[in-house]
Amino acid sequence: MKFSIKRSAFIQGINMVSRAISSKTTIPILTGLKLSASNEGLVLTGSNADVSIETVIDRNDADNELIIEEEGSIVLPARFFSGIVKKLPSDKMTLSVANGFQTEITSGTSSFTINGLDAADYPHLPEIENDNEISLSGDVFKEIINQTVIAVSNQESRPILTGVHFVLKDGTLFAVATDSHRLSQRKVALPDNQGEYDVIIPGSSLSELSKMISDDTENVKMKITENQVLFTIGNTYFYSRLLEGTYPDTSRLIPKDSETNVQFDAYELLGAIERASLLSHESRNNVVKLTIKANVKQVTISGNSPDVGNVEEEVESKEVVGNDLEISFNPDYMKDALRAFGHSMINVAFTSSLRPFTLVPSEDAENFIELITPVRTF
Amino acid sequence: MEKRELYDGIKDLESQTELMLTQFTEVRKALTEVMEENAELRIENQHLHDFINEQKENVENDNKKSRPRSSKSRENLEHLFNEGFHVCIEFYGSHRENDESCIFCNEILNR
Ligand SMILES: [Zn+2]
Repeated sequence: MKFSIKRSAFIQGINMVSRAISSKTTIPILTGLKLSASNEGLVLTGSNADVSIETVIDRNDADNELIIEEEGSIVLPARFFSGIVKKLPSDKMTLSVANGFQTEITSGTSSFTINGLDAADYPHLPEIENDNEISLSGDVFKEIINQTVIAVSNQESRPILTGVHFVLKDGTLFAVATDSHRLSQRKVALPDNQGEYDVIIPGSSLSELSKMISDDTENVKMKITENQVLFTIGNTYFYSRLLEGTYPDTSRLIPKDSETNVQFDAYELLGAIERASLLSHESRNNVVKLTIKANVKQVTISGNSPDVGNVEEEVESKEVVGNDLEISFNPDYMKDALRAFGHSMINVAFTSSLRPFTLVPSEDAENFIELITPVRTF
Repeated sequence: MEKRELYDGIKDLESQTELMLTQFTEVRKALTEVMEENAELRIENQHLHDFINEQKENVENDNKKSRPRSSKSRENLEHLFNEGFHVCIEFYGSHRENDESCIFCNEILNR
């Protein structure tokens, strides 16, 4: 194998696949980065138990200045290799595999020789054969991920809740996550897609994928088989394993009607919750209380810590309708939920002090809902 | 073996034994705790089974004539939840850490 390439293009590819490479893996060859030079271009691969990333540096794209003199493949120790490439002196570099798996890297007047591994020992990436592909714009897909992974569980005691449940049915894509304390659900209409999916994708894979979606990502394609999902972003392929099992039925958890409705500026409410949580964090049970007096249109947030003191703040609300209410909840869940709304207006709907309450954007209320379960106080 | 080495060796052994003894005590305490919890859970588990059977009967009765759900079983579930146990299918009978809320229990208790 021998090729020369523009170093910046190569570094970009190395950074992309390095996201999947961990030095802590139990399979030694997976600490390596696989390189394959072929007629089409240069393929870089990184992998761990959950996720594999493959990116193609196109030979026909003049920007890459890629010249393949000899086809072939090699696995190189990722950490050393990427360190070396990033520090090389010239804009261009040449890589060649000589006798055995010894690899020579030259750039300007500098030359490294490092020991590689046989690419034949590198695990094969799964083949994803499925004609039904979902295509979404990059920003929408990133939004779906960021709105749902906040509610994913990080407790391995119930592994299925560490994933996001994706369901495609009747031309609508649902993404739902719950850690049993709060729930987040996003809906996207895909009228042109008549396929059906029901899968659980690990939240950690989605968080990693979301970092790879930049402002200039036009679209993200998603393809699913029995135990793998493949996301395609331009020339990069992101594979993740799926979680096995049946996701709990979450449709019955979302309240259908409400008794008290309040409209807030999400950002203002967030500020008040953050202040109240300064004290609640000091007490054992970490709850803040929301008190709604509908007739005088007054909403108050309070928190206390037996050791430190207490806080009370009146929050500006745009509209207060329905019954009076006192409800206590964990402010950390509320903070996560509110951050997903940025500066927009939200409608918060309550049934009673014992029932979960919901947060939806005032505009486009149909497509995104967050739910928080109150804490029972005595 | 030199006398000095022998002395040092005995001293090391002594401190190691002491350390091991404290570790033993700790492990024994932990084991007792786990066994207590296990016993507690088994009892509660039994209760839950009873409740579920009761629930099934209620559902069957409900099908025959619409009758409000037995308030006793709901009270029992409430009681169990307030004692710090999950009453939901997802976390069936397990202990609720720090009295945390549970969306699944909540749904059952408010059904
Ligand atoms: Zn529960």
